[in-house]
Amino acid sequence: MKTNDMNQVAVHAIFILLAAFCLIPFVLLFMSSVSSESSIVNNGYSFWPKEFSLEAYTYLWSQKSAMFNSYGITILITLIGTFVGLLISALLAYPLSRRDLPMRGILSFLVFFTLLFNGGLVPTYLIYTEVFNMKNTLMALIVPGLLTNGFFILLIRTFFANSIPVQIIESAYIDGASEFKIFYRMVLPLSLPILATIGLMLTINYWNDWFNGLIYITEPQLFSIQNLLNRMLVNIQFLQQNNLGGQNMAVNLPMNAVRMAMAVVGILPLILIYPFFQKYFVKGLTIGAVK
Amino acid sequence: MAKTGWVATFKKLKRYRALFLMMIPGFAYLIMNNYLPMFGVVIAFKDINYAKGILGSDWIGFKNFEYLFKTKDAFVITRNTILYNGSFIVLNTVFAISVAILLNEVRNKLAARFYQSVILLPFLISMVIVGYLVLSMLSAESGYLNLNLLPMLGMEPISWYFEPKYWPYILTIVQLWKATGYLCVIFLAAIIGIDHEYYEAATIDGAGKWHQIRSITVPLIAPTITIMTLLAIGRIFYSDFGLFYQVPLNSGPLQPVTDVIDTYVYRGLMTLGDIGMSSAAGLYQSLVGFVLVLLSNYIVSRRNKENALF
Amino acid sequence: MQRKSKAAFPLAALLALCLLLSACGGSNNSGSSSESPASSGSAPAASGSSSNDKEMELTLAFMGIGNMKEVGLVQEEISKITKAKINATVKLMPIDIGAWTQQVNLLLAGNEPVDLLVTSSFFNYSSQVAKGQLLPLDELLPKYAPTIQDTMEPAIFNSTKINGKMYGIPSIRDTAADHGISARKELMDKHGLTFDNVKSYADLDPIFQKIKDNEPGVYPLVQRSQTNGIANELVRGYVDYLGDTPGVLIIENQDLKVVNLYETQLYKDALQQARKWYQAGYIMPDAATTQEGNNSLIKAGKGFSYLSNMKPGFAAQETTVNGREMVTASIVPPISTSDSGTGFMISIPKNTQDADRAAQLLNLLYTDKDVANLIANGVEGKHYVDAGNGQIKAPEGGSDYVFNQWEVGNNSLAKVWEGMDPTIWEQTKEFNKNSTFSKALGFSFDSSPVKTEVAAVLNVNNQYKAGLESGTIDPSKLDEFVRKLKDAGLDKIVAEKQKQLDEWAQANNVQ
Repeated sequence: MKTNDMNQVAVHAIFILLAAFCLIPFVLLFMSSVSSESSIVNNGYSFWPKEFSLEAYTYLWSQKSAMFNSYGITILITLIGTFVGLLISALLAYPLSRRDLPMRGILSFLVFFTLLFNGGLVPTYLIYTEVFNMKNTLMALIVPGLLTNGFFILLIRTFFANSIPVQIIESAYIDGASEFKIFYRMVLPLSLPILATIGLMLTINYWNDWFNGLIYITEPQLFSIQNLLNRMLVNIQFLQQNNLGGQNMAVNLPMNAVRMAMAVVGILPLILIYPFFQKYFVKGLTIGAVK
Repeated sequence: MAKTGWVATFKKLKRYRALFLMMIPGFAYLIMNNYLPMFGVVIAFKDINYAKGILGSDWIGFKNFEYLFKTKDAFVITRNTILYNGSFIVLNTVFAISVAILLNEVRNKLAARFYQSVILLPFLISMVIVGYLVLSMLSAESGYLNLNLLPMLGMEPISWYFEPKYWPYILTIVQLWKATGYLCVIFLAAIIGIDHEYYEAATIDGAGKWHQIRSITVPLIAPTITIMTLLAIGRIFYSDFGLFYQVPLNSGPLQPVTDVIDTYVYRGLMTLGDIGMSSAAGLYQSLVGFVLVLLSNYIVSRRNKENALF
Repeated sequence: MQRKSKAAFPLAALLALCLLLSACGGSNNSGSSSESPASSGSAPAASGSSSNDKEMELTLAFMGIGNMKEVGLVQEEISKITKAKINATVKLMPIDIGAWTQQVNLLLAGNEPVDLLVTSSFFNYSSQVAKGQLLPLDELLPKYAPTIQDTMEPAIFNSTKINGKMYGIPSIRDTAADHGISARKELMDKHGLTFDNVKSYADLDPIFQKIKDNEPGVYPLVQRSQTNGIANELVRGYVDYLGDTPGVLIIENQDLKVVNLYETQLYKDALQQARKWYQAGYIMPDAATTQEGNNSLIKAGKGFSYLSNMKPGFAAQETTVNGREMVTASIVPPISTSDSGTGFMISIPKNTQDADRAAQLLNLLYTDKDVANLIANGVEGKHYVDAGNGQIKAPEGGSDYVFNQWEVGNNSLAKVWEGMDPTIWEQTKEFNKNSTFSKALGFSFDSSPVKTEVAAVLNVNNQYKAGLESGTIDPSKLDEFVRKLKDAGLDKIVAEKQKQLDEWAQANNVQ
């Protein structure tokens, strides 16, 4: 039962405040991207720049081939990664959610253990590049993120365990359905809320990932958009905060406005797509709720 | 006795073979991505010499761990890490659940969708950019606070980046801002999964809104809350590097309050380039988290078997 | 519980499998990585004229700051020459400076082919040697690159030796440095200011004051970066840092006594000076936290001048970088410090496919005019155009290849950019030669015995340096800073440095 109107007003008020708190930095981000460089250096970032300028975006447009390329890479790995990652996660989580599975405790432990222990960057890098030869391939951008260390698996498993009545499964099994059929025909459709949620998480993770790109990719054609941005930012920061014996660097440091513009450009697609996604997201959630 | 045991096990495995098949891709990935690299744990105990290779390098016992314990800073960084993460866990959970519950109450679906998108936005910005945005607020000279807000309130400008006392709050707020949307999505999914019949029955019985939230919503999403909390405990010694290094702009005077294990390790690695030391730190962080999770999981499983992780 | 006992066997099997796999993976790595030094070590013995039969691709890894978009094009052109001369093509591998330490460690941990690598004392050169990442060059040089040592000062050439062996060749650049001030010419002229009477840093006060009084919104003095503070620049002309850990030599003493810089009168005076300037309003209030460097501040008109190390042609260089005409004044005469040579070098890493061939490519970088020019300036027509008089200038629409020359090779062979004096390389050579040499030139400190203390000291440094050296924090805090440093183990580091320095001095007959 929903709350009455008074409470609705209060709830809306709270959310409007929250929304503002979340949106304001974005506005700032956007406004700085359309400021002129000298107004940023002289006056800092402001909501209403002293001097407007589209120089940041003109600069980015001049790099359009690199930008479009990296967009393409990002979209590609996000789509593939999310789909495959979701599939593998669900396939792994479902058996673990079945209380009648033999060795359930041990297997769960094995999955969970990976969340806590990591061999470290160097060995992981060695495995991927030496044993599997994935350096400078698309695979290097997709595979490391697939299961995100089992965190999502546990979430999915919990959902399966708590929201799918065992009776349904048992009766289907007795009726002669195979495990795969049960999974595909019954469990998955009932799990749309969690699948949509995890799908969203995976999408965000893949979209925002720059770390894998940083260490596995040196070919510029394979740079994702966040990779591009982050390389630039990390380089700038490094030069700012380290004193290389005073070496004079003839560097092309992108201006402040350009960094902001890159950030906007990196986030914008996600922001634009998300509302559309939300339609299916919410639909999935409500279908799941109605059961 | 043993024989029947084996036969029964085999039969069981056969019956469930489809399920085992399903798990193969997942486990293959885990082996490749997580278990194989675990051999690297030895790096923490060795003095790595690349000419000899990883397995051929000399063992040096715990020398790589010393810098994490011997110095005065060790106490500061450990204290900071635990205090921050502890409060983050509590605050994030409470906040995200509250927001999720509230969001669920919004009648206007369009508004609900809008709000949900908006609070998720902060999660999408990288911490480096967040650092710049915070600078625009707190810059001593041109920051919004010093320039506009404080004069309006009749206060003197503050040199934010030199005053440690404000930063625990600043960092906590930034962290909340960023993480709430993401966590909220998870809790919301769990809340929506609750059968409406419970609520209808409760309303018929005359239970008020608060009462319903306390006795239906929260208990029924308890499994999710438990998992999120247990996982967070497992990562209690890890910090969001961007939050503690980039947002304070690596400002020296703030260090006693903003230094955590990860930033300390990073600074060491930058100059020494010693992967043994960074590997030792990683192992230390993992171990502590692991032990804590085992403990917490044990406590949870005592109260409610189902909610435990394993 | 019943389930657990039945599960014991499969569990054990699974764990055993994991361990087995990891052991296999591990031994593969160690096996192959321990093979390569052996094979490249034996290669020189088997070398001779037969070694160039096999065509190979040599990879040169360097810091890719600047614009690396058309690196492929440059690579092609260089390869044409190298193919003809040493039967090898070249692959240029720019690596982001922000990720340098991490990426290089990863590269060298495995077996990826890297044949030449830029190394530097600012990027753990001595640790790299201690960890076996680099190959000694002493035997390869006489055979394949005998003339390199003639291109630079002998003291500099030998300065890369560690334990008697050479692991890197310095690049040809300004290895000495003088220190002084650079300022915007237009403002100097506008207010009738001149550097003629400036003989010491204190003489700058009236100039700063004039700017402060007459140019609102312009800060007389800005810092190079957040961590390169005013006080730091004030002392740098007098000190040999012996790497970037505490413990320095005072050059004018011409001795081998390692001292704690932070306890010297020189440093205390520098802090006082910086503080005075800060309180007078010559320095930006947020100098210690600003994310803007001197170049962007000058460009935007927010700053007037900055202190820095300089070299021949510095004014011309800064004019180009800042987009405003600059004038400079040298206040401290040139010095060469222990990391002058090791500041930027080329080394052959253990991952090289063929040390002989790599050495030959190294030779080309130092002796072949065309190769040196290609890597430093790019391809004619695309990245530069002829400016007459043997010099070059930027093409219309800018260039997609901007390399930082000082990293690699013999730049005196490359063409000179317009705006620079055509005799710049001769001047640089003279400049290097006539500088005051630190006694410790050639000494590299290995910090691994005190790495715990170094990590702790770095942390303390970070807390105080930026604030103290920009004049933001009162110098009275210096005592607290020094106390904390000592608690963190500063004295141990200084003692270790002195010990290594004495050993080195004895081994090399330096008094």
